[in-house]
Amino acid sequence: MAEEQSNGHKWTMIVDADKCTGCQACVVACHAENNVPVSSEDEVIRGRAMHWMRIERYWEGEYPNVKARFLPVFCQQCGNAPCEPVCPVYASYHSTEENINIQVYNRCVGTRYCGNNCPYRVRIFNFWAPRFDAPLEQQLNPDVTVRSPGVMEKCTFCIQRIRRGREQANIEGRPLEDGEIIPACAQACPTDALVFGDKWDENSRVAQMVPSERQFKLLENLGTEPAVYYLKGGETHVGE
Amino acid sequence: MTHLTRRDFLKVSAAGTATAILAGCAQETERWVALEPYVRAPEEQLAGIPNWYASTCRMCPAGCGIIVRVMNGRAVKIEGNPEHPVNRGKLCARGQSGLQLLYNPDRVTGAVRQGERGSRKFEPLAWNEAINTLYEKLDAADQAVAIWTGSATSGHLCDLFARYAGAVGAPAPLRYDLTSALNSVGALAAANNALFGQATLPGYTLAQADVIFSFGADFLGAWLSATGFGVEFGQFRSQRFGKRGLLVQFEPKMSITGAKADRWVPVQPGAEALVAGALLRIIADEGFGGAERAGLAAALAGEVDLDAAAAACDVPLADLVALARAFAEAERPVAIPGGALAGASNGVAAVTAVQALNALAGSSGLGFTPALPTALAAPGWSSYAEVQALVERMSAGQVRLLLVHGANPVYDLPPGSGIADALAQVETIISFNPLVDETSALADYILPDRTYLEGWGYEVVQPAFRGLPVVSSQQPVVGPFHDVRPTGDVLLTAARGIPAAAAALPWTDEVAFIREQITALPKGASGGDDDEVRWARFQQHGGWWPEAAPESAAPELAAQGTLDVAGAAFDGEAAQYPYYLHLFPSVLLGDGRGASLPWLQGAPDPLTTVSWQTWVEINPTTAQALGVDHGDVVRVESPHGAVEVPVYVFPGIRPDTVAIPLGQGHSDLGRYARERGSHALHLVGAALDDVGANLAWSSARVRVTKLDKKQALARLESTIDPGEDIHVPF
Repeated sequence: MAEEQSNGHKWTMIVDADKCTGCQACVVACHAENNVPVSSEDEVIRGRAMHWMRIERYWEGEYPNVKARFLPVFCQQCGNAPCEPVCPVYASYHSTEENINIQVYNRCVGTRYCGNNCPYRVRIFNFWAPRFDAPLEQQLNPDVTVRSPGVMEKCTFCIQRIRRGREQANIEGRPLEDGEIIPACAQACPTDALVFGDKWDENSRVAQMVPSERQFKLLENLGTEPAVYYLKGGETHVGE
Repeated sequence: MTHLTRRDFLKVSAAGTATAILAGCAQETERWVALEPYVRAPEEQLAGIPNWYASTCRMCPAGCGIIVRVMNGRAVKIEGNPEHPVNRGKLCARGQSGLQLLYNPDRVTGAVRQGERGSRKFEPLAWNEAINTLYEKLDAADQAVAIWTGSATSGHLCDLFARYAGAVGAPAPLRYDLTSALNSVGALAAANNALFGQATLPGYTLAQADVIFSFGADFLGAWLSATGFGVEFGQFRSQRFGKRGLLVQFEPKMSITGAKADRWVPVQPGAEALVAGALLRIIADEGFGGAERAGLAAALAGEVDLDAAAAACDVPLADLVALARAFAEAERPVAIPGGALAGASNGVAAVTAVQALNALAGSSGLGFTPALPTALAAPGWSSYAEVQALVERMSAGQVRLLLVHGANPVYDLPPGSGIADALAQVETIISFNPLVDETSALADYILPDRTYLEGWGYEVVQPAFRGLPVVSSQQPVVGPFHDVRPTGDVLLTAARGIPAAAAALPWTDEVAFIREQITALPKGASGGDDDEVRWARFQQHGGWWPEAAPESAAPELAAQGTLDVAGAAFDGEAAQYPYYLHLFPSVLLGDGRGASLPWLQGAPDPLTTVSWQTWVEINPTTAQALGVDHGDVVRVESPHGAVEVPVYVFPGIRPDTVAIPLGQGHSDLGRYARERGSHALHLVGAALDDVGANLAWSSARVRVTKLDKKQALARLESTIDPGEDIHVPF
C-alpha cells in the first residue's frame, strides 16, 4: 500500500544513538503503557523474552579499547512492510491514516508468518496466556487490550495515545500540535534520545532532524522504508 | 465512631476501606479518591477520562517529580512531572515501576504480629490494638528507643521521627541504607566540607560543561540522581554549534556511563585518587590552562612521582598528560567522584582529590543545593560509624524498642556488622515496611505504612539541579489499597499518650504537620497569595520551588595545603585472592528494593542483557585462564564470605577485577525476589574508610574457583557465536 502524503500523518521516530544510555526507562515504560507481560527467567533462557522495545548492545573492539554501543530497537513501522503481504487474514495491515503498520489482535490466527518475515525481529508471539498475579492486574492500562495466547503483537507507536491526541484536537477543533502526542518510551527517555512526531508536518522536530548527516536506517538495503530513523553516535577525541 | 450517613457507608463499603473509617478517620477519606460504582459519579471522574495527580517518586532518594494517571480510581501509569526541576518530565525504569509496589501481590495487608521471630507466621492485629502496642512499647522504652529510617522514608516522616526522638531524649533517628552507602553520600559530604565548607551533595551542572571527568560515578545508571543527570547529559550531548562535549570515565569495570564515555579508562581499582593527584601535578608542572588554573593546581597538588603514579594506576603517562591538558584547557570542566572509589579504604581522600579538580575552573559546575528560606531541610544521612554505634548499643541490650521504616538493615549491611545478633538482643522490633523484607521477618510487629502512591509527604530534594531548591510534594493518588495506616498518623496517635512527646508533636494528623511546613514557605513558582491556595498549588504542581534560582556565587575553595593521595588497601593477600572485587548497584534493582517488582526483574541489564539473575563479570582473558565460559558457575570467595554465581564473560572489565551486581539474593521481599541470585555484600567486611566514618564496601579481594555446574544465563542478546550452528529450542 503506497503511502500518500495527502492522507493523514506520517508518524516517525528518531533515535539518537549518541544520547541513548541503555538505561531501560523506555523498556519499562512500554511494558507499563502497553500491558506487555513479563517473561519468567525460564522463558527468557528459551529465547522467549517479551518486550515490544529492546536495547541491543554491541561490543566494539577489545579490552582496553572496548566500546559498548546501545541501539533501541522496536517495530520500524515500515512504509513497505515485509510482515504485511504474508498475513493470510490481514491482521497485519497498513493504516492509511496514521501510515504505520497495525496489528489487529482479534484477526490474528497465529500463523507467525509476519514474525518470520520481519527482518528486525520485533514481533513477538504470545506462547502463553499473559499472567498478572493478583492484584497486579490493577496496573493494566484500560486503553490497551491484553493479548490472548496464540496472537502476534508488537510496538504500535502507542496508537492509543495517537488516537486520544487526535480526538482531543478534533474536539477542540484545532490541528494537532507537534509534541502533543508522545509514545511512552519517548516520554520516559531521560536524555531525549527518542523524538517522535509527524514527518509530514514540515515544522515538526522530526521533520527537521531527519535530514541529519548522522542519519541512517536499520537494514536500509532491504528497502523496507522504516519510519524509524537512527542518528549515529559520535565520538569526541581527547585534545580535539 | 463518627457521623456515618447511609450514603457514606455505601461509598466506603464499595471502596473496601470500611475498617479505616470505622476506626474513626472519617475526615481522612475526603483526602483521596474513593473507588465507587458510578450510580452517582464523583464530580472529578468521567469514565474513560484519566485524572492526573502530581507527587514524588520514592523508589530512590533523588526526589523526582511524578504525575500519575488514574483511571476510575486505579493508578495505571507513572510519568515524569514536566514542571519538576529535577527530572523535567522524565522518569527512569525504577520510577515507572512504582505501580508494582502499590499493587504488589506480597504486600502486608494490615497490621500483624509475629509470635516467633523469623517464623514468618503473622497473626492479624486490629489497628487500634497495634497503635496501642506501639504506644505501650514507646512508653516502656522511654529513651531506649532507636529509629532506623532509609531511602523510602518520606522527608516529613524523618522530621516527625526526629522530633519524637528529641522530645523523649532518645538518640536522633538513623538514616542509613545500602543506597546511601552506594551513593557514597558520606564521602561526598565529607569531601565537600573539607574543600568548600559545604557538607551537602552536589548536583553537577553537566548541561553547560564541555569536559566531564567521571571517576567511578555511574551517574547515568544508579548513582545519586540518575534521571536528573540523564537530562543534563542529554543537553551536554546536544550543545550549540555542534559541540558534543568530552566525557572521560575512569573505572575498572565499564558502567553504562562508561559505555557512553568518549574515553573509557580502566584504572587500577583504588588508584583513582592517584590519577586525580597526577592530573593536578601535571597541570601545575606544565602550566596547562593558563597561570591561574596551573597556580591553583600547584597549591593543591602534592609531591607526585609521575612515573610511579602512572604505573600504580595503570594508565600510561602520555595519556595522563593528554587528559590533564584536555581538562585544564576546557572552558567548563567538571569532575565527578563516586561509586566504587568512594567505597575504597581511601574513600574520602579519593573523593576529595577528584572533587578538588573542580576548583581549577572556579567550581562552576558543582551546583550545591541552596538552603530553603525556612527551617525545612533535607534530613541528613547517617554514617556507617553511627550504624556501628547503634549495633553496639543493641548488642549490649541498651535498645528496648527498634522502629524500622524505609530501610532493610539485615540486607543493607554486610554480615560482619553483627546486625543479626544485635537485633536478637532488642526486646521489641516494629517494622513499618510495606513488604515482608529480611528485617521485617525478624520483627515482632509489622505496622505497614502506605506506599508513596497512597500516602502524604514531602521531600526536600538533595542534590537539586540548576541551583533551584525544591520541596517535592507527595499526595495520595489512589485510595489506600489495603488496610494500612500512614506511619505519621500512627506515630502521632501513639505519641499522644507520652507527655513529653505529646507536647512536641501537637498535630492532629500528619497532613496538618505537612501543611504547616509547606505554608510557611514564601510564594514559589506556582504562586498563591494565601495559605489555602499555596497548599493546593503545592500538590497540584508537584512541589515548591522558587521562580528563579537564588543568586549564589561559585563555592570558594576553603581547603589549604596539598592533597594527600595514596592508593587504597584491600582485604586479602594478593597471592591467595588474586582478583579485585568490584560491586555495583544494578541499574534496575538499585540497592535491592527493586527486586520485588517484576518489571524491573524482567528488564534486561543494559550491558549484559541478563534479567532475573546475579552473575559475575570476568574479562575474556581471565575467563580463558580460568577455563570458564558464559553460564559456568564459579565460587567467588573473599576473606569474609563466598557466593556461587554464573560467569558472564565481559569485555569491559580489567583482567585483574571481577564484578558482581548488587540487588538480588533476597531471602524475603516477596515472590519475585525470594531465593533468586546472590547477595554479593556477603563478600565484604565491616571495615571503615580512611576517616573512620563510612563503610569500605569496595575493599575486598577474591579468588574464583570453577565449579562443576552450569546455569543458563537469562540474556536477551543472541547467544549464538559467529560460525556456530543455530539450534532453535523448539
